[in-house]
Amino acid sequence: MGDLGQILVGGITTGSLYALFLLGVLIVFQVSKSINFAYGQVGMIAAFSAWFLYSEQGLPVPLALGVGVLLAVIVNSAIDYAAIRRIPEGRPGLDLVVTLGIFLLITAVMQQLIDANAHTFVSLGADSRAELGGVVVSLNDGIVVGLTVTIIVGAYLLLNRTSLGTSLRASAEDAGIAQAAGVNVRALRTATWAAAGVIAAIVAVLVASRLSVDAFYMTPFLIKAFIAGMIGGLDRFWLPLSVAVALGVYESLTVFILGASAGTPAVFLLIIVVLALVPKRFVNERNEVRA
Amino acid sequence: MTGATITRPRRSAQPPATGRGAGARRILTRVAVFAVIAAVPPLLFDDYWVFMSAQVLAFAVATLGLDILYGRTGQMSLAHASFMGVGAYTTYIVSSYGHGPAIQLGAVVVVALLAALVVAVPTLRLSGLRLALVTLAFGELLAWVIRETTDLTGGTQGASVDPIVIGTWDSSEPLHAYLIALVPAAIATLLAAHLGRTQLGRRMLAVRDTELAAESVGVAVARTKITAFLISAVYAGIAGWLYAAIVGFIAPPDFDLFASVYLFVAVVIGGAGTVLGAWLGAAYIVLVPELFTLAGQPNLYPIVGGALLAVVALLVPDGIVGLGRGLWRRVRGARGGQEGSR
Amino acid sequence: MSRTATHNTVAPAVRTEGLTVRYGAFQALSDVTVSLPAGQISGLIGPNGAGKTTLLNAISGFTSIAEGSVHVGHADLTALDARRRALAGVVRGFQTVRLLDRESVLTNVLIGTERLPQPSALAQFFGLPSQWRAGRRDTAAAAEVLDLLGLTGQAHRRVDELPFASRRLVEVARVLVSSPSVILLDEPAAGLDQEGRQELAAVLTRVHHNHPSTMVVVEHDVDLVKSLCSYVIALDSGAFLRDGTPAEVFGDRQVQLAYFGRAAGADA
Ligand SMILES: Nc1ncnc2c1ncn2[C@@H]1O[C@H](COP(=O)(O)OP(=O)(O)O)[C@@H](O)[C@H]1O
Ligand SMILES: [Mg+2]
Repeated sequence: MGDLGQILVGGITTGSLYALFLLGVLIVFQVSKSINFAYGQVGMIAAFSAWFLYSEQGLPVPLALGVGVLLAVIVNSAIDYAAIRRIPEGRPGLDLVVTLGIFLLITAVMQQLIDANAHTFVSLGADSRAELGGVVVSLNDGIVVGLTVTIIVGAYLLLNRTSLGTSLRASAEDAGIAQAAGVNVRALRTATWAAAGVIAAIVAVLVASRLSVDAFYMTPFLIKAFIAGMIGGLDRFWLPLSVAVALGVYESLTVFILGASAGTPAVFLLIIVVLALVPKRFVNERNEVRA
Repeated sequence: MTGATITRPRRSAQPPATGRGAGARRILTRVAVFAVIAAVPPLLFDDYWVFMSAQVLAFAVATLGLDILYGRTGQMSLAHASFMGVGAYTTYIVSSYGHGPAIQLGAVVVVALLAALVVAVPTLRLSGLRLALVTLAFGELLAWVIRETTDLTGGTQGASVDPIVIGTWDSSEPLHAYLIALVPAAIATLLAAHLGRTQLGRRMLAVRDTELAAESVGVAVARTKITAFLISAVYAGIAGWLYAAIVGFIAPPDFDLFASVYLFVAVVIGGAGTVLGAWLGAAYIVLVPELFTLAGQPNLYPIVGGALLAVVALLVPDGIVGLGRGLWRRVRGARGGQEGSR
Repeated sequence: MSRTATHNTVAPAVRTEGLTVRYGAFQALSDVTVSLPAGQISGLIGPNGAGKTTLLNAISGFTSIAEGSVHVGHADLTALDARRRALAGVVRGFQTVRLLDRESVLTNVLIGTERLPQPSALAQFFGLPSQWRAGRRDTAAAAEVLDLLGLTGQAHRRVDELPFASRRLVEVARVLVSSPSVILLDEPAAGLDQEGRQELAAVLTRVHHNHPSTMVVVEHDVDLVKSLCSYVIALDSGAFLRDGTPAEVFGDRQVQLAYFGRAAGADA
C-alpha cells in the first residue's frame, strides 16, 4: 500500500500542477481563441528572475517572488498586446508561429541575462514532510494541491456565478455579440492574459521549488499540459482539467510499474492511442464553420 | 542563394495564353541559374566554405520538406529536426553494419515514412493544432530513445558517422561532400517545384487556405495533410542522411526542439510556400550562426532568430521572397506605367 | 464542347425529403420536401434567414441533418460526406466567396478539377506521364471556363488583387470547371452590377446548354430569376412555401407576403 500510495500522491501533485497550468491555457484560448506557445516561458521568467533576485542580488525571497509574478504578468500581457492582437483575420495557426518565435526569444534572452545552468530553488516546504497512513507527504505537496483546488474552484465560481463570468463566457462565445451587448471585450481580454500570467508564475515557482530552475525546465511541463488540453478539449472546463490530473497519475504509475525511464514513451503512446481511438466528434473543438 | 531557379513557384500551371515555348524557356533559365550558382562554391570557395555550402545543401532538403508541410499545406510540425534525426541516426546504425549509401538511403526513407505514419494518421484527421502538439511529443520521444539506447546510438554523447564513399569520392572531403549532396538537393528542388504544378500541390494550397472550398470540390482534406506530412518527413530524413555524412558527427541537440524551431524560422524568413524561400532559409540557418560566431557574438543568434520569427510572421508573412516580389512588381508597375500609353 | 441540349437524359433530379436542420434549439429547416427538376435551372428564393444557404448546405453535405434525406437521381446521398457528394457530381459555390487568396485565378479554378480522374499522389509527385496528361486536360478545362467567364486576361493575377465582382466569378468558375451534373450556386450575382448580372445569367445559360446539369441558383433579383430559371422554389423561415414556374411562384399571394412584404416592403 505504502508504495502505491506514495505513487498516487506524487502523481496527483504533478497532475495538479498540469491542471493549474492548463487552466491558464484554457482561459486564454476561450477568450482569445489563441494558443500561446511561450506560456511556459512566461512562468519560467517569474521563477528564474525570482531566483536571480534573491540568490544573486540578495533581495528577500517574498519580494523576489513578487517581482517575478509581476514580470510574468507584464510579459504575458505584452505578448497579447504586441503580437496576438496584431494577427490578421483569417490566418489561423499564426498565433502558434508567432509565439514560437517569442518562446525562442524569451529562452535566449533569459539565458543571456542570467545563465544556462540549473539552480536549486527555495524549497517552499518541500523538505518539511509528514507521514500520513504510511505515505510521506510534504508541505509543498499540500501547498500545490491546495492552491490548485482553490484557484480552479475559484475560477469556476467566478465564471459561473458572477456577472463578470457571464460577460467572460459571452465574449468567449461570440466577441462581436458580447461587444454589442455592452461587454468591454478588450478589457476582459487583457484581464484574462494578466490572470494567465499570474497562474503561469505560480505554477512555474511551484515546479521550480520541487525540481530546479533554468531557462528550459518548463517546456516538458508545457507539453504535458497541452496534451491534456488536447485530449480533453480546449473549449471545455472540467474534462481537460481532470485529464491533466489523470495524466500526472498515469505518468507516475508507468514510472512505478515500468521503471524511471518509461514516462516519456508512455505519454506519447497515450496520446497516439487516444487520438486514434476516440471519435472525431469528441476530441475536436466545436468550431462549426458556417458554409 | 541557389534557389533562384524558381522565381514564381505559385504560378502553378501553364498560362492558357502563353505558348509551351515560353514555359520551357523559363524552366531552362532557372536550371541554368541553378547550375551557375551551384558551380560557385567548388570553383571559388576554400575548403571551409565548401563544407558550409554542403551543409546548406543538406538543410535545403530539410527546409524544402518543411515548406511543403507548412508553407503549402499550412500544417505545423515541431519535430522536423527530429525527423532529420531519424534520418541521421538510421544512417548511423545502418552504416555501422557496413552498408553503403544506397541501403542507407532506402532505410532512411522507410524509417522516416513509418515514423511519420505513426504521428500523422491519428493526428491529421483532427485540427492542425493537434499535429503541432503531437510532433512536440514526438521530439521528446526521439530524445528519449537516443538517451536510452546508448549502445546503439551513442546516447547523449553523440556518435561519429562514417562518410559516404562512392568510388573514389569520400564525403569527409568537403568538395566531394558538396558534390554528393548536390544531386539529392537538386532532385528535391525539382520535385518540390514540380509539385506546385500538380493537382496534389493545389490540394495542399486549398487545405491551407480554405478547407471548405477544398471539400466542396472533392479534395480529401485529411489524406492531403497526411501526404504532405509523409513527403516532408522523407525530405527531413534525407536531409539528416546528408547532414550525418557531411558533418560526420551527430548528437541529440542537433535534432531537438530548438533545432526544429530554427527550421521554422528559416522557412518563415525565406518565404513560406516558395522553393526559393526554402533555399534562402537553408542559407540563413547554416550561414547566419556562423557569421555571429565570426563576429564574436554566438549568443545573439537565438535571440535574433526568435525576434525575426515573431516579427516576420506578423509583418512580412511572405518573407524575403514576398518582399522581393513586391519590389519587383512595383518596379515593373512603374515601367508598365510608362509604357502604358501604347 | 458543342453538345446540344440533351439535358434531362444525363443530369439527375435532386430531391429532399422531410429535411430538418437544427442549430441548438433553433430550427433552420423544418421538414422541407422539395424536388429540383432534372436538367433544369431552378431558382431558390426567400427572405434573408429563410434557410436557402442551409438547404444548399444540406444538399451538398456541409451541415448535419437532424431528419430527412437527400437524393440525387436514384442515389440516396444522405450518408455521404461533402467530399463524396462532390465526387458524385454535386458541387456548390459559397455565398461568402472562399478562394485561395494568395494564389492565381488559374490555380483557384484548377483546384475545381479534383473531381476529374486524377493520377495517384505518387504519379503526380514524380511527374509521370499520366500526370502530364491530366495536367493538360485540366488546363484546357480551366482555359475554357476562364474564357467563358471573361477571366482569361486575369488568369495569372492573384485573386486578392481582383475586384470583388471578379472574385465572385472565380468562385463560380471553380464550380463549373469540372462540369458537375448538379450545380448549386449561392447568390452568385450578389455584388455584381446590372451588366455583370446579365452577363452571368447569359454565361450560366450557356454553360447549362453546353453541359447538361441540374442547376440551383439562390437569387433575390426577380427579373434575373425569371430570365434564368424555369422553376422556382420559395422558402420562408426554414419552411417550404411554394414551388412552380417563376410566374406561378412570384404570382403567389403567400410568397408576395413573405418575400416582398418584408424584403421589398422594407426597401420602400
Ligand atoms: N451554423 C449555424 N449555426 C447557427 N445558426 C445558423 C447556422 N447557419 C445558419 N444559421 C441560421 O439559420 C437561419 C437560416 O440561415 P441561412 O440558411 O443562411 O439563410 P439564407 O441563406 O436564406 O439567408 C438563419 O437564422 C441563420 O442565422
Ligand atoms: Mg444565404
